[in-house]
Amino acid sequence: MPEQMKVMNEKDMHKTTAHQKVFRILGQGGIYLFLMVMALIVLFPFYWMIISSLKSLAEYRLSPPTFFPMHILISNYAEAFTTANLGRLFLNTLYVGVVSTLLSLVITILTAFAFARLEFKGKELLFAALLATMMIPGELFTITNYSTVISFGWLNTYTVLIVPFLVSIFYIYLLRQNFLQIPNELYLAAKVDGTGDFKYLWKVMVPLSLPTLISITILKMMGAWNSYIWPRLVTRADEYELITNGLRNAFTDTTGDVNYPVQMAAVTLVSIPLFLVFVFLRKYIMSGVSRSGIKG
Amino acid sequence: MVESKQQWKAWLYLAPAIVLLLVFTVWPIINTVGMAFMEGYSGLTKAGGEATFKIGLGNFIHVVGHPDFQQAMKNTILLCLFTVPLSTILALLIAVALNAIKPLRKALQTIFFLPYVTNSIAIGMVFAAMFNVIGSIGTRRPMIISYGVVNDLIRAFGGNWINWINAGSEYWANMVVMVIYIVWNALPFKILVLLGGLQSINKQYYDAAKVDSTPRWRVLTRITVPLLSPMIAYVVITGFIGGFKEYTSIVGIFGENMGPAHDAGRLNTMVGLIYDSLEMDNQGGASAAALILFGIILIVTLINLQVSKKRVHY
Amino acid sequence: MKIVLKNLTKVFPSRNKKSNDEVIAVNNFDFEIPDGKLIGLLGPSGCGKSTTLYMISGLQKPTGGQIFFGDDDVTQLSTEKRGIGLVFQNYALYPHMTVKQNILFPLQNLKGADKMPKEKMLEQAYHAAKLVQIEDLMERKPSELSGGQQQRVAIARALVKMPRVLLLDEPLSNLDARLRLQTREEIRRIQKETGITTVFVTHDQEEAMSISDMIVVMKLGVVQQIGEPQSVYDSPANLFVAKFLGTPPINVFEGEVKNETLYIGDEAVLSVPGVASQPVTVGIRPEGFQLDPMGPLKCRLSNVEVMGRDVSIVSKHENSLNPIIRSIINADHKVDIASEFVSYSLKPNKVFLFHKETEDRIFF
Repeated sequence: MPEQMKVMNEKDMHKTTAHQKVFRILGQGGIYLFLMVMALIVLFPFYWMIISSLKSLAEYRLSPPTFFPMHILISNYAEAFTTANLGRLFLNTLYVGVVSTLLSLVITILTAFAFARLEFKGKELLFAALLATMMIPGELFTITNYSTVISFGWLNTYTVLIVPFLVSIFYIYLLRQNFLQIPNELYLAAKVDGTGDFKYLWKVMVPLSLPTLISITILKMMGAWNSYIWPRLVTRADEYELITNGLRNAFTDTTGDVNYPVQMAAVTLVSIPLFLVFVFLRKYIMSGVSRSGIKG
Repeated sequence: MVESKQQWKAWLYLAPAIVLLLVFTVWPIINTVGMAFMEGYSGLTKAGGEATFKIGLGNFIHVVGHPDFQQAMKNTILLCLFTVPLSTILALLIAVALNAIKPLRKALQTIFFLPYVTNSIAIGMVFAAMFNVIGSIGTRRPMIISYGVVNDLIRAFGGNWINWINAGSEYWANMVVMVIYIVWNALPFKILVLLGGLQSINKQYYDAAKVDSTPRWRVLTRITVPLLSPMIAYVVITGFIGGFKEYTSIVGIFGENMGPAHDAGRLNTMVGLIYDSLEMDNQGGASAAALILFGIILIVTLINLQVSKKRVHY
Repeated sequence: MKIVLKNLTKVFPSRNKKSNDEVIAVNNFDFEIPDGKLIGLLGPSGCGKSTTLYMISGLQKPTGGQIFFGDDDVTQLSTEKRGIGLVFQNYALYPHMTVKQNILFPLQNLKGADKMPKEKMLEQAYHAAKLVQIEDLMERKPSELSGGQQQRVAIARALVKMPRVLLLDEPLSNLDARLRLQTREEIRRIQKETGITTVFVTHDQEEAMSISDMIVVMKLGVVQQIGEPQSVYDSPANLFVAKFLGTPPINVFEGEVKNETLYIGDEAVLSVPGVASQPVTVGIRPEGFQLDPMGPLKCRLSNVEVMGRDVSIVSKHENSLNPIIRSIINADHKVDIASEFVSYSLKPNKVFLFHKETEDRIFF
């Protein structure tokens, strides 16, 4: 009798494992299905943006819509480019982005180095105070900075787009953490090898922190590309307009009877550089972003 | 280790940052706080000796009592209440799902991160296009040329089309569009953080659960979520802070009207309000509103920290 | 280049601002390191040996006293300008540079008259690499090297600019036992070949004894004894030095001198002419015991460990200050493990007497 029971148990066990297998496969299938649906939803706006930019206005207005353009129309792009004066906007944004990134990198490196390696009175206190300012919403600064830059006579200049945002506490924090991970012995070794602080910073610390510096560069460039509020506030002339403002101003109407294909072509053009950066430098963006929680 | 007898050297390294911070961070804090308590003050128009203002809470009283502020407050809070839980739960499900698969994980991960690297104005315009109806909808017998792709999908499933964002649209419809767009935009960061957290959970807990033949759902609610609670708390806090600073996504969809054509300003937010006051030379009001925003963010953060202190499971 | 340390003192302020317990890491160190010698700074952790090394390097500034390289007072000179080579405990190779770039780095920093053309730098780098036999690894990154190879690169980097002084901080502690033996011979060879005055720090007395021309034993910031390894071992200045040098360690007993005779317990174990009657601490080296059935020192036998050439006898005695007594006896002598007691006579030159309070050596 006990013998029999044992056999039965074994059978049962086989049954349950088979069951579990079926469930597992079903479960796995369900997971993939869920992810695929979500992925489609996430991708759909991009897809819609691109196919719309390639349609004629008449085709765009078809109801039900076509999910692939019947005739691919590249001319929307040419029209978008001239309508929004995108060339000028690209150059402006690139200039502001590059200059502010370079200056910001230099300042960030120097400051992070002082906080990570040098000794001075009140270091911890100062650093804590800087971190605390990250809690304050940027609008609070903007209000005063607006009148400050007016009194400096900076309205409608490149300076006003670059200088107020050169210091980022978050980037300083990021880089300082990176610097602190570099063993102190390297600093001492460099001294023995006849290096001063400054040379050590550029020859050893900077190369060793390259991934973080690249992350900062990308995030800063993306920041210039996506900045909207400040430039809108402090620039009136077209010649200092940045890409996002230009895009918004060129297509003021978002609802109603809009020439969407051209508008979508412009949007695509603005998005392409971001996608390229994403495709080639994804890991730097992700590593920077996962530590921040702020966009751009 | 090395005694640096030259303190000034450190200050030399700090100098550029310090100078810029003094001008663009420290001074604004002092000045903005000051202006918030000066009634009738505008730093932009002060000239000669005509600056007449008195110290008091007038700016706050005026701002809080203003219908625009109340509307902006309502919009901001509603957006937060809908978008934060929704995006957090969705992100959690997606992260858990991603963590449970092997093939295609990298590719899907990349897709889910894609909305992060976008320009919120530009993609807002895409969303507007998807929800926009072309035709004369204001009139009694509407002549619709194009319902927009979202309505077309609804109609394909037998539903009625909805005036989402056009003139005459209803408030709730506008809100639904905003919530969808903001959630779509907020997912990547949350998935990234949560997936990172998931991958750092010790696999042994799951093996132990397997030994006890725990069903999947229980594994999620009893093991994954508690162990992930610090990360969840983090994305919730940052989500709320981001929600209270919402502005550009609304500009992206509705333009600087901040609302549908028939009711401009209906969807204005706290940040939008601050900039409006600023452009109208009401620096005192703008400052008061900014301080209120700061206060809200501070309170939300503190509440969140308090809750997560109790609820975070380790 | 001889190195002179004059009243060298280093005081660290206390961490806690309220209390005033400063830590004296190095106290009045006076020493002249002869030119071209290999010196081992030896002591337990916290004895100030590393601080001394770091003061010689200039990475730490002394609180008092002076340091001379030859006749130059370098006390106030910063590290960069001292022209020293230093090998760190964990090597501190620059991880983003190849071996060649690491070795070239100190040369590229030379300024003014010392500046050299590229070819000369390369030549010198390869010379240094050859000296430590890593010329085949020049294009590798440090992460691609074994611990022993990294150690060699670190030495090459320290040597490449022909430093006036070579300093090594626990150079062998990160290597496994076999590599340690090999590398210490190597350090000895390189030091002899280059003739650079070398100071190295270690807590391993065997390591220090085996390759140093002279050793400096330190304790709590105070130099205990300086001398050639063998003479320090044969004639320790105090109980601390006696205990610190030698494996197995010295055996310590409570004893008393009465009528110029040393008593351990009630037994007269040795005659000590010229020593005044007093209670003493007795140190006996493991090799100072001789098996002698008639011997005065009778210990309870606990174990016999056979080591091939020698046997090590573990025994106990009520006057021993250590839990066990360990003696090393030539394996020709047979010990009956079953017997309860073992009796020894003592070799006078392996027995040291120390003052009971001051722990200074009492000579006889």
